[in-house]
Amino acid sequence: MKRRDFIKTSLGVAVTTALTAKPLTSALAASPIKVGILIPLSGPAGLFGPSSQNCAQMAVDEINAAGGILGRPIEPLFADVGGPPADATQAALKLWKGEKAEAFIGMHDSAVRGALTNLFKGQVPYIYTPVYEGGECSPGTYVIGETPEQQLAPVIPWLASEKGASKWYLIGNDYNWPRDTNAAAKGYIEASGGTVVGEEYLPFTADNFDSNLAKIRDTGANAVLITLVGGASVGFNRAFASFGLADSAIRLGTLIEENTLAGIGAENSKGLYSSAGYFANIDTPAAKAFAEKYAAKFGADAAALNSLGESCYEGVLLLNALAERAKSLSAADMDAIADGTSYDGPRGAATMSDRHVAKDIYLAEADGASFHVVKTFANVDPGKNCG
Amino acid sequence: MELVATYGLNFAYSTATLGLIVLGLAVVFGLLGVMNMAHGEFVMLGAYSALMVQQAGLPYVLAIPLALFVCGAFGWLIEWSVIRHLYRRPFDTFLATWGIAILMRKGVEVTFGREYQSIDQSLPGTVEFFGIDYPAYRLVLMALIVALFAGLFVWYQRSNTGARIKAMVENPELAAAVGIDTARLSRATFIAGVATAGLAGVLLAPLVRVEPYMGLDYLLNSFFILVVGGLGTLEGLLTGSGIIGGADVVISAIFDKTAGYLGVLTISILFLWLRPDGIFSRR
Repeated sequence: MKRRDFIKTSLGVAVTTALTAKPLTSALAASPIKVGILIPLSGPAGLFGPSSQNCAQMAVDEINAAGGILGRPIEPLFADVGGPPADATQAALKLWKGEKAEAFIGMHDSAVRGALTNLFKGQVPYIYTPVYEGGECSPGTYVIGETPEQQLAPVIPWLASEKGASKWYLIGNDYNWPRDTNAAAKGYIEASGGTVVGEEYLPFTADNFDSNLAKIRDTGANAVLITLVGGASVGFNRAFASFGLADSAIRLGTLIEENTLAGIGAENSKGLYSSAGYFANIDTPAAKAFAEKYAAKFGADAAALNSLGESCYEGVLLLNALAERAKSLSAADMDAIADGTSYDGPRGAATMSDRHVAKDIYLAEADGASFHVVKTFANVDPGKNCG
Repeated sequence: MELVATYGLNFAYSTATLGLIVLGLAVVFGLLGVMNMAHGEFVMLGAYSALMVQQAGLPYVLAIPLALFVCGAFGWLIEWSVIRHLYRRPFDTFLATWGIAILMRKGVEVTFGREYQSIDQSLPGTVEFFGIDYPAYRLVLMALIVALFAGLFVWYQRSNTGARIKAMVENPELAAAVGIDTARLSRATFIAGVATAGLAGVLLAPLVRVEPYMGLDYLLNSFFILVVGGLGTLEGLLTGSGIIGGADVVISAIFDKTAGYLGVLTISILFLWLRPDGIFSRR
């Protein structure tokens, strides 16, 4: 289109719109709700950027097609929070004060979450979606992700009785999520009659796991709880299987999603279990419909579905549920009605308590390069996170 | 006894693989003085060559010629376009190759995606060795590396090309004056160095994580090894690999992995401070 034609057409459209516009009040009411969606597009977690963005966009499109939130369409504003907390704070501040975002949804690490709750101070609703260590209690902050209580309380006793897991070795990267997860795990292991035979934390830079594997073999562990993340988890699990340890011990991971499993590889995934609120092939009508819509919308080559990406879809659903129940977008109003707010997503039914959600937890076993769910634990409580 | 065998084999494995990884950098940095920050990315290209061969359903050994060709061709391109203008300007090579490294990571990310790839072991399973079950592929790999180094050592000592490289490294002007084409020799040396990194990538790919950013893992340790061992000799390279790999294995076994990493850093700092030319210095 030539520039002059473009101007003419635009002017024509503008005039027509102005003439046929509804009264001012309803035009304002239908002004879009800007929602800041904070996801890692760079850095170590950048791997989850594309699936997170796709899932969030899909939820936004669906809610907009159904009339929006409180009758207003959602306008998503994506920002990269893959860097350090200071950069993430800047990005969020720009959306909040500059672009006038009225709500935030975040899928990022806990260091960034700490910086953001400090920035928002409960003045704007903020939904935190990924799996995390538990204990977030700031006002206006709503947490969807699995807590260690949810991932472990039902799973460890089940593995003890069904798979004979009794001697546990705990291995993770050296930061708060693995340490808090293992602290919770110890209680459940003891209660299930098992013992902890070793506990180790590795720096993120670790790429040789031989000494850890020698210790695991030496302790005679028959179960390993893995809270290594990303590349460290891939490297550890490959080496674990190559030493033949998969024949003598099962592995349970609380952040081994589809991408990590792809890196671990089919030949190294024997006896590998993962506990999470979502897997790409959960066998429920809601999850299947979600996966089909995702494939139809983004094509077969789209970023693979996984629990972290999908959590962004749930985040938009929760924002909708909170706003519709509170009849408001203010964090104070949402805080007042948050307990008991529920919605149905691909993960199943979710109900808020303590601004966390009680939901179904799936235990999946690796079958080659994909997961299949071996046990569903219904409506698992997120544990006590406030006070 | 079993414990000794386990740690002994782990020590041997870590020394051998570190030696293999650092060999390419030892050639490029040690002989040509090019601080190749893209060294790890050539290892990565080697691993992705293995991936391409696997995806095409071809026998794994074909990954070796493919990686040598891909890395050699790419090495030729960047030597011709960038590096040859920067010889004897180490800091400039540092910046230029860092830029090239970013380009290579992004290029692979665009082509293959950001996700992890898995490369199958052609020899899965373990075999009993010194009373313990040890991964078969690792044992074969160690034997291959020993053979490679032995061959290289003999070649470098005996061959004409080896002598010419030594002459060029000692005194480039004099070497040129006696009729050695130093520009061509430098290019060949650079290409051989990065192709070796690609070979390391192929051989290690079944054992490690494979993704566009994997190269960063190999860069730091490689420089540590050269700091400790010293530049320009195979003895230095192997000693450095043994010390860095050994410190990690031993300290990690006694304490934990964090202590092992701390030990490696401490050793590197002490060497830079007290013995900046490393153990084997050609000076």
